[in-house]
Amino acid sequence: MRLSPDLNTVRSEFAGDPDMSEIVALFVRELPQRIAAMHSALTAGNLEHLRLLAHQLKGAAGGYGFPKLGEAAALVDQGIKDGCDANVIRSRVGMLAAFAARIRP
Amino acid sequence: MSPSDVPLPKVLAIDDSELIHRLLRVRLQYEQLELHGSTKAEDGLRLARELRPDVILLDIEMEGMDGFHVLQVLKSDIDLQDIPVIFISATASMEDRVRALDLGAIDFVGKPFEVVELKARVRSALRVQHLVKMLAQRAQVDGLTGLWNRTYFDRRLLQEVSEATRHNRSVSLVMCDVDGFKRLNDERGHPFGDMVLERVAKILQGGRGSDVACRYGGEEFGIILPNTAAIEAIEVAERYRRAMEQEIWAMAPGMVITSSFGVAEFRNLGADAGVNDLVQAADGALYRAKLNGRNRVEAAMATHRTA
Repeated sequence: MRLSPDLNTVRSEFAGDPDMSEIVALFVRELPQRIAAMHSALTAGNLEHLRLLAHQLKGAAGGYGFPKLGEAAALVDQGIKDGCDANVIRSRVGMLAAFAARIRP
Repeated sequence: MSPSDVPLPKVLAIDDSELIHRLLRVRLQYEQLELHGSTKAEDGLRLARELRPDVILLDIEMEGMDGFHVLQVLKSDIDLQDIPVIFISATASMEDRVRALDLGAIDFVGKPFEVVELKARVRSALRVQHLVKMLAQRAQVDGLTGLWNRTYFDRRLLQEVSEATRHNRSVSLVMCDVDGFKRLNDERGHPFGDMVLERVAKILQGGRGSDVACRYGGEEFGIILPNTAAIEAIEVAERYRRAMEQEIWAMAPGMVITSSFGVAEFRNLGADAGVNDLVQAADGALYRAKLNGRNRVEAAMATHRTA
């Protein structure tokens, strides 16, 4: 049993930066849609689109103070580039989604 | 137009991710620059042509046309090839960096970017661009009067004549020469002569916004009038003539300094005429103005009239 669920959440490195608060909040709010779009692309077998979405997240997440999220997205991007097995891609998207679910502004 | 306007530098970001544009808007908000953005390569190129930015931030991986392709288009366009391009890319491969630099990019920033580094690289590119622009402009501006110089005059006249020919529009040239300038210089000294030239330049600069006033050499000035037929150009020259005649010289009360003008319209010179013929025609008219008593405007006669 977890004493505090907050221990599990990931916060932006720029949480204390007033200039950033608005766009970080927007980023976090939109994140579930981005992950959902990646799941849809995966289900539809549209790997090129999935890669583009992962690539964009890889490039941007660090800028919003979530470098680990960027690394998880990079694994999806690289996996598709390397022509990895569909199961590998699916599991990497799963890891990315699980990490994204822990993100708070 | 005159050579002395300095607006805020423009930065254009071309990146297919809205996330990056939001980030740039926040991260560059306190920099002395005007940020523009586009999420599509084609729109970015269109914006580059419209805005003439001082620096372009360019993403490599975009859907459709990628950054390398965009860079090639920019570098093959004579109006855009001097704009420094900084690549911003999440693709960290050394090959891509080398390729970008070899294609003419000035710098490379990895994504996610360190804000301080990005700002420093943008500032550095802006500094380089500022110096390049300043040098280019210095080479085209007359040191004494601040008007465009002869080099610029030659290039611009050629450009205006080609434009006018292509779009079947008129373009006129007014040549202006200060009357008795050599005697003024001899009797009152060179500083006075310089002041007269500066004052004449000011009068010529105060004309219509579309007119291009240049120092042709010595006490001679050339004013290019795009979209202007001879009859209108004569009126413009007449206004300048009157303004100079009425100028008051504090250092020499009561003194009247006049100028003579020669006007020519390109279309009146016949189908085979070139830029040199236009200069010659205006100069010939100016010579007649001198012969006919100075302080007057003469126009080149229409030898042929082409549509």
